[in-house]
Formats: sequence, C-alpha cells, structure tokens
Amino acid sequence: MFIRKSIIAATGLFLCLFLVVHLSANCILILPEETARTLYNSYSTTLRESPLIKIIAYVLYLSIMLHIIYALLITRSNKKAKPRGYHVNRTKDNSSWISQNMGFLGITILLFLIVHLTNFWARIKLGIGENVGLDNNGHKDVYEVTYALFQNVYVVLFYTVLMVPLGMHLNHGLKSALMTLGFYHKKGLRLLAKLSLIYASIIAIGFGVIPLIVFFK
Amino acid sequence: MKATFKIWRQEGGDAEGQFRLYDVDGLTEDMSFLEALDHLNEQLVQRNENVIAFEYDCREGICGQCGVFINGRAHGPNDAMTTCQVHMRSFKDGELIVVEPWRAAAFPIIKDLVVDRSALDRIIEHGGYISAKTGTAPEANAILIAKDKADKAMDAAACIGCGACVASCKNASAALFTSAKINHLNNLPQGKQEASKRVLEMTRQMELEGFGSCTFTGACEVECPEGISIINIAEMNASRIKAKWLE
Ligand code: HEM
Ligand code: FES
Repeated sequence: MFIRKSIIAATGLFLCLFLVVHLSANCILILPEETARTLYNSYSTTLRESPLIKIIAYVLYLSIMLHIIYALLITRSNKKAKPRGYHVNRTKDNSSWISQNMGFLGITILLFLIVHLTNFWARIKLGIGENVGLDNNGHKDVYEVTYALFQNVYVVLFYTVLMVPLGMHLNHGLKSALMTLGFYHKKGLRLLAKLSLIYASIIAIGFGVIPLIVFFK
Repeated sequence: MKATFKIWRQEGGDAEGQFRLYDVDGLTEDMSFLEALDHLNEQLVQRNENVIAFEYDCREGICGQCGVFINGRAHGPNDAMTTCQVHMRSFKDGELIVVEPWRAAAFPIIKDLVVDRSALDRIIEHGGYISAKTGTAPEANAILIAKDKADKAMDAAACIGCGACVASCKNASAALFTSAKINHLNNLPQGKQEASKRVLEMTRQMELEGFGSCTFTGACEVECPEGISIINIAEMNASRIKAKWLE
C-alpha cells in the first residue's frame, strides 16, 4: 500500500516538473505571430528529434499511466477501508474541499488529458486525424495546429476552465506528495504550503490564459 | 433545555442498524454530553426500553474511550476535545443532535455507539513498546535527552488512542495514531535501538488491519483531542522509507 502511495507521489512530482517545462515552452505562443510560428515549430522539431527527449517522453507516458492506475487502485482500497460514511459529515470544518476530492479532480484532469492528447499528440506524433502542414523552414507547423484550434470558443473555454481543477489538484498534490515521501521539516512545510499555492496558481493561470490570448490575437 | 437526539441504534455487529429520534427535556447547559445521554438512558429505563450503549471511563479526557460522531464531527462541534469534555452549552436549545458511531471497516460496531477499536491495540502489540527490561524509574539525568527531542516525543506520547483520527479520515487511515506511537518511542534514546523494526512492523500491522492510506486532508489533526500534528505522519513516512529501502 505504501509503495503504491509513494509511486503516486513520485510520479505526481515528475508530472509537476513536466508541467513547468511545458508551460515555459507554451509561452512562445503569445509572442507576435511570425516569431511565435518559427520559434515554436523549431522547438517542437528539436524535441521530437532528440533521443534524450524520446526517453523522457516514455518516462512521462509511464508516469501518467502509473499515477492514474495507482490512484484508482488506492481510491478503491480506501473506499473499502471506509465502506459506510456518516449521515452528517462536516468535513468543511476540519479540511479543505480539495483534499477531500483528489480523485474527482484527477478524473476531470483525465478528461482534459484525453481531449488534449487527441488534439495535439495524436495528430502530430501519431499522424492520426487531419494532416499537419509544414512551415517555411520545413518544420511541422505545430503553431498552426494550435492557432487553428484556439479559434473555436468552445475549445478555448474547455482548455481554460479545466485548468481550475488542475490547479486545485496540484495545490494539494504538491504538498501531499512531499509529505508522503517523508518531508517533515516544520517550518519547511509551512513554506511548502505557500509554494504549492503559488506553483498551482502559476500553472493554472498560465495554461488557462494562453488559449484566451491566442483566441484574441 | 431541550434537544432532539437522532441516535444510531444497532443490536449487534451483524444486525441492521437505524437512526432513532429521542426528544429529551430537562437538560441543562452545564451537563456534559455524556450526562445528557445518561439522562436520556434513565428515561429509557423508566419506559422499559433498551438503553443506548456508549463507551466511557474517565470522563475527563484521559482514557480515550468515549468517542462518537456528533453532528458531523468526531467528538462533537469543538476542535481538539473528547466527547466527555463537550457540554450541552455547545448546542442550541431545541437543536437536533445527530450521534453516530465511528465508521471504519477496521472498527466493527459492537452495539449502538460502541465500536471495537482493538485494531489499534494490535498495532501497539507490533512494536509500540521497548522490549528491554528497564527496571524501576532511573535517575532523571542518567540519560540525557535534548529538549527538542523530548518535546517531540512528549507531544506524540499524548495520543490517547481514541480513534478520532480514523473516524474523521475519509480513508479511515490510522496513520496519525500509528505515527504518534512510533515517533513517541523513536525520538528517545531508549526507543532508538529498535526504531527500524518498530516502524516496519507497526505500519505493516496498520495495513493488515484494513485501515486506508493517508492523503493528508488534515482532518485528523483538527479532530484529535490532543492536537497531534500530521507532521508526525510525514516523519513516520521518512522512517519507513529509510528502514525499507535505504537500510
Ligand atoms: C497533469 C496531471 C497530474 C499531475 C501533475 C498530478 C499530480 C499529483 C500529485 C503530486 C499527487 C500527490 C500524491 C500524494 O498525495 O502523495 C497526486 C495525487 C492524486 N492524483 Fe494526480 N496528478 C495528475 C493527474 C491525475 C489524473 C489524470 C488522475 C486521475 C485519476 C489523478 C488522480 C490522483 C489521485 C486520486 C490522487 C490522490 C491519491 C490519494 O487520495 O491518496 N491525478 N496527483
Ligand atoms: S471518557 Fe475518558 S476520554 Fe472521554
């Protein structure tokens, strides 16, 4: 059981790190059109062709799968430990809503992830769906895929709104993961709580506004 | 003072339980919550009905016997307090007071509000002690213990094993209880010798008993009558990782 929980925490932390890199790269998208197109496409091509990134990508896929599988397994065994709830339960008086609903928040992220991967990863990496064109440098025009997608209001809303549960999941997840892995420094934990909130806000707001900026470009 | 009690009644472990409503008159604000239940039971005796089973011993916050879930909180509406320390002045006149037993697969119901918490005793049996014979109380300064270590051990040792942490946890995790018992001993020179064995065996027993895993909601430390901090759980995890994978 503890090994499962440690895997959820370790893979969660790795995913947290991935999100920082991912968000930094996505910031290119808000630059002026031509610069953004050249930069984003050449960045994306470099990544796709690097053998090191290939390995990291596989670690990433594995992390996502392990995180989800073990989260679901642990949620199931936790339900078994508490088969019956209370008639009246004032959890709000003793804990945050977020911490009580990590599984639900995770499922909404999973929903986002499925749509997100179909929109980009499947088209660009697997070649499933509409063909991706080339830019003037002969690079796959990933910028165009993004730009075209974010012309649709509903898509933009989906991408923006679902960053809220992501931010919530990360706010609790970051602190919880470090405690699961044995970080118990008292003052450090107080700082960690603040850092988790800052980190989660940057990720959620960052990923959330980029589609809006692209839409209004 | 009046109150309506909505209390979980269950004949035995396998029996179906249900809530029963009791209108109780003649209460006073100075009565403890348990005295109010006594008062209700006296009326049930006079009406020739079965009394409500609930547990207590010291009635002063020491023994940890008395825990029940009151209006959605372990040990009632106040933070850091046992059920026996709750007074009727914590409720409004005429309030509906819902009383439920601790809910956890590892705490089967014995009768009404009484649950079997012996799973916690079995965790203690797996290392919540020092195996060497230490004789009578030694001279106080014979073994020097740094102040911060002594404080940490004493804070953890305050656990009275009431089970509120398990009861309030959405996963029915016993991590706060187990970590308190482990850290109490592992922080002291007498307990250090068996620290790794203790952490491995006690946490193993905790899992065998069917308690869930810790998600750090923090509900337990708010409901704990002794205010034991969840930092203890993180410290237990650190010792666990060290004992399991680094030693
Ligand atoms: C970008 C994606 C994700 C990231 C960065 C992430 C990150 C994290 C982190 C750091 C934790 C803390 C682990 C701990 O409490 O020790 C966590 C917990 C959790 N995650 Fe995720 N997660 C992601 C996606 C998901 C998804 C798709 C699910 C879907 C089921 C999920 C379900 C959970 C659950 C249920 C927990 C809590 C486990 C518990 O309650 O004990 N997560 N996550
Ligand atoms: S009866 Fe002893 S702590 Fe409440």
